[in-house]
Amino acid sequence: MRILVIEDDTNLNRQIKDALTEGGYAVDVAFDGEEGHFLGDTEPYDAVVLDIGLPQMDGLSVLEAWRRSGRAMPVLLLTARDRWSDKVQGIDAGADDYVAKPFHMEELLARLRALVRRAAGHASNEITAGPVRLDVKAGKVTVDGQAIKLTSHELRLLSYLMHHKGKVVSRTELTEHLYDQDFDRDSNTIEVFVGRLRKKLPEEVIHTVRGLGYQILEE
Amino acid sequence: MRKGSIAFSLFWLSAGWLILALAGTAFLLTDLYSRALDANLANQLKFNIDTLSSATLDSADPKFADIGVQDPRFTRAATGWYWVIRDEAEQILSTSRSAVGLLMPQLSGDFDIDNYRTGVLEDEAGNSLRAIERKTTSNGRPLEIMVTGNLGESLALVGQFRGQTLIVLGAVGIALAIMSGIVARLALRPIGRLGKAIEQVREGESQSITGSYPREIAPLAEEINELLRSNTQIIERARNAVGNLAHGLKTPLAVMRNEASAAKDNPLARVVTSESDKMTQLVTTYLDRARLAARSAVVGKKADATMVMLRLVRVMEKLNKHVTIAFKRPDASLPWFRGDESDLEEMAGNLLDNACKWSKGKIAVTMMAERTPSQSFLLIRIEDDGPGLTEDEAQKVLRRGVRLDEKTPGSGLGLDIVKELVDVYGGSLQLRRSVLGGVLAELKLPAAKVGGMARS
Repeated sequence: MRILVIEDDTNLNRQIKDALTEGGYAVDVAFDGEEGHFLGDTEPYDAVVLDIGLPQMDGLSVLEAWRRSGRAMPVLLLTARDRWSDKVQGIDAGADDYVAKPFHMEELLARLRALVRRAAGHASNEITAGPVRLDVKAGKVTVDGQAIKLTSHELRLLSYLMHHKGKVVSRTELTEHLYDQDFDRDSNTIEVFVGRLRKKLPEEVIHTVRGLGYQILEE
Repeated sequence: MRKGSIAFSLFWLSAGWLILALAGTAFLLTDLYSRALDANLANQLKFNIDTLSSATLDSADPKFADIGVQDPRFTRAATGWYWVIRDEAEQILSTSRSAVGLLMPQLSGDFDIDNYRTGVLEDEAGNSLRAIERKTTSNGRPLEIMVTGNLGESLALVGQFRGQTLIVLGAVGIALAIMSGIVARLALRPIGRLGKAIEQVREGESQSITGSYPREIAPLAEEINELLRSNTQIIERARNAVGNLAHGLKTPLAVMRNEASAAKDNPLARVVTSESDKMTQLVTTYLDRARLAARSAVVGKKADATMVMLRLVRVMEKLNKHVTIAFKRPDASLPWFRGDESDLEEMAGNLLDNACKWSKGKIAVTMMAERTPSQSFLLIRIEDDGPGLTEDEAQKVLRRGVRLDEKTPGSGLGLDIVKELVDVYGGSLQLRRSVLGGVLAELKLPAAKVGGMARS
């Protein structure tokens, strides 16, 4: 899951990035509206954390520009203006949820998780595929009730596939969603991680669709 | 026309002068008339004296038994019309037939240079008499000829005249009073219009005072408009300043809190956490207060409550996917809210947000009007199917600053701002048990006098 954070306060930006990275997301950051708009317009993100008060281009304008050009990723607005008229304005501009500053990082994470999950069409924090069960909130995976240990890269890969289960996910899509901008994108690493993940999971959980990508089947 | 009004003073000022002027006129006219009557009577009497005087010259009888005047009033008894001829020793030589058997009173005083003297006498029958006496000489005999006329007849005529004058002048007075009343009203009509225009601004039906006014009060209307404009600007500026301050303070607070909570074991971090929490509380409280203070002076605003609720319901359903909100759109006759749109959004938004937090999936929103003879209100009911509140809990929640459940952040604070806004607008907030099982929150807010106009 790849998240874009647009926040002009460098400290807050770093804090959110750290918290999200710790939560198992790949994170890109931007510090002003224009840069943020460009990134959101060109890179595929699973969700965006967007501050309203930004230099050069304010958050609502960024959001409206995205929605106009058909960018539909879930957006979590971040703002000090917490009156309902401001919230209504934000939601009407196309935001999916809203966190008022100052906030608890746990709240931001919980809301972001819910957004990503909802965008993928899952109602609860737990996604299952056969014997495999993923707890999105805790970042834990069990097989037949037995916890298994995954590295953060393996967890990201499994999480993305589970969120999009039933769908064939290409290597390019995986690369784009699992790593941030600065990562050296070599699609071979994906194959390495898939191989490692397959060893830890029961057979036939992750299918290879020749020439297209990978798939976790719906039951 | 009530006491203390300009129309009242204008009316009484002009009416007071009218009463004085008309009463003076009546008095003067009656006086002139009575003088004219008296002069006429004196002329008649003098003519009679002349007639008698020339008759004495022609008469051979020293007692003048054969003389008289034509006027028949001098022949009937006790009419008040008498003549008497006396000699220099005041001995009566001859009298009119009307004076026979009566004791004739005498005039006193000196004769003037024309040898006349006049006065008012009373005869035995009680008649008031105008008497004129002339000293003359007839065939070498000095004589005093006195003729009297009935003054009562004149006085009766004067009385009659006075009555008629009063009736005529009274009618004129009433007509003038009505006119001055109408004039006062007409002259003051623009002030009434101005009052209505100001009321419309207060009711939120218009943003400024419109229409043309006479030169005398046009500056007043302009000044009021200017005042409204600067008032709006001040409020706008204050709101912006408050918003900027909020943004400026809340981001560093968020940073401090996050940074500190990342290092929970550090004692410094614990202090920073608790202090930044306190600062957050203070900032929120005082920003709310500043917003309320800036708000209480807002006049001339109204908002389409139906539109606000539609928008809020849409937003809430987007934010809370697990909840369906049943909102029956009220018909167009529902009055508008008298106040600021964002304030209504704040009140209804917080109540709806609370309902969403506690709801198991069903929320109902209803709107209606409540009209009393003096004022009309807008009722907004928001019901949920959550666990609900007992009466004690509802009381506690409505008290300021009490949070019922710390686990659901903002529940206390949200209601605080709702409560304060409701107070500012003179409305009320009630929490009851809903038929859905949860809380029924009822907002009662003042309605704009004219609702449902051009919905945009």
